[in-house]
Amino acid sequence: MTADLRPPANRMAIALLSLAGAFVAFYLFAHALGWTGPIVCGVGDCATVQASSYAKVGPIPVAAIGLAGYMFLLGMALLGLQPAYAASRVVSGALVAASSVALAFSAYLTYLEAAVIHAWCQWCVVSAILVVLIFLFSLPEVGRLRQSPARGHP
Amino acid sequence: MRQVSTRSEERRKARQGGGSDMTRFYWVLAAVAVVGMIVVGYGLSGGGSAATEPVDLAGVEEDMGALISLAQGITLGDENAPLTIAEFGDYQCPGCREFSLGVKPQLDFAFVQKGLVKFVFYDFPLISIHAHAFLAARASRCALDQGKYWEYHEALFTNQSRWAGMSEVVGTFVGYAGEVGMDEDEFGTCLRSDKYADVVTANMRLAMELGLTGTPTVMVSQGQGMARRVQRYDFPSIQAVVEEMLAQGGN
Repeated sequence: MTADLRPPANRMAIALLSLAGAFVAFYLFAHALGWTGPIVCGVGDCATVQASSYAKVGPIPVAAIGLAGYMFLLGMALLGLQPAYAASRVVSGALVAASSVALAFSAYLTYLEAAVIHAWCQWCVVSAILVVLIFLFSLPEVGRLRQSPARGHP
Repeated sequence: MRQVSTRSEERRKARQGGGSDMTRFYWVLAAVAVVGMIVVGYGLSGGGSAATEPVDLAGVEEDMGALISLAQGITLGDENAPLTIAEFGDYQCPGCREFSLGVKPQLDFAFVQKGLVKFVFYDFPLISIHAHAFLAARASRCALDQGKYWEYHEALFTNQSRWAGMSEVVGTFVGYAGEVGMDEDEFGTCLRSDKYADVVTANMRLAMELGLTGTPTVMVSQGQGMARRVQRYDFPSIQAVVEEMLAQGGN
C-alpha cells in the first residue's frame, strides 16, 4: 500500500478561497480607513451597511477582523500543504476551529444585514459565501483529527 | 527485491504527482492574487465618481410622480402649515449663502416658527460651475442621517468661502460634521459612498423639469396649488408674497 503523498486538495481550496476573502476584507478595511473613494457596489446598498454601527466591533472595523481571519486560514492552509505538516493535528484543528468561528461570525453578520440593517452589501455576501465554502472544505480535517496522531507530528 | 523496487517507484510517482499538483496550485494561487489586486486596485482608485456627480436614475426622471417622490426636499417647520416656501439652492452659490444666512432666519422668525409657513430646501447643485456643489448636497443628506441637517446646512454656508476654492473637500466636510456634533466616522463613511447621489440627482432633475436655471430660486405655494415664483430673494419681496397669499385664505 502506498502512502498518500499528494497534497490535500481541501487545503488547496481553503488557501485559494481565503486569499480571495482576504482581498475582499482588505478592500472593505481600506474603505473603513477612508483610503478609497465611493465603495464599488453594483448590487445592494453597501453604504448603508458600512455606515451602520454594526460595521465595527468597538473601535475595530469588522473588515479588519475578517482580514485577520482570512490571513490566519490562508497561513494554516499553506502550512498544511507542506509535506512536514501534512498529518499535523494542530493544522487540522486550527482549520476546523477557525472556519467554524468564521462561519458563526458570518452567519451573525448576515442576520444583521437581513433583520436589523435591512440592507445588503455585495462584498459581505461574497465573503459569507466564501466562508461557507471554506467551512465545507475544512470538514475533511475532522476526519484527520479522529485518526490517531501520526508519529513525529504534533 | 522486486517488490521493494516497485514500492519505491510508486512513492516516486506519488511524489512527482504531488509536486505537479503543488505547481498547478501555486499558479492558481498567483492568478487569484493578481485578480484580487486588480479588483482592489480599482476600488482603491475610487471605482467611480458617482458621489460627486449625478447618477443614472434608471428611468425615474421619465415619471414625474416617481421623480417627485425620490426628490424629497428637507422641511423646516410645521408639516401642516398653510403655506410652503420652497428654495432650490446650491451650497456653493454665494447668493444661496446670502439667502440662507440672511433671509431664511427672518422667514423662520416671521412665519415658520408661528406655524404659518413651512420651509422646504431642495438641492439644485449647479455642477457645471460649482465643482463641490453635488458633494456638498450629498453631505447635507448624510447629516440628515444623524439628525443634524439644518446645523450642517448652516455650517456649509457659513464656511462656503473656505471650502469653495479647495481642490479636495471630503476631509473638510467631515471636519464640519464633527464641529456640529456628528459622529465623524459614520458621516465620513456616508460621504465616501454613493449614498444619496440618486436623491440629489432627482432634486436636480426636478428643478430642470420646473424650468429653473439659477439659484437660489424661491417659490411660495398654498396646499397643492400652483407655486408662485418670487423674482427677488430678499426678505421684503418674499414677505409681500407670503402675506398676500395668507390674506387670500392661506390661514
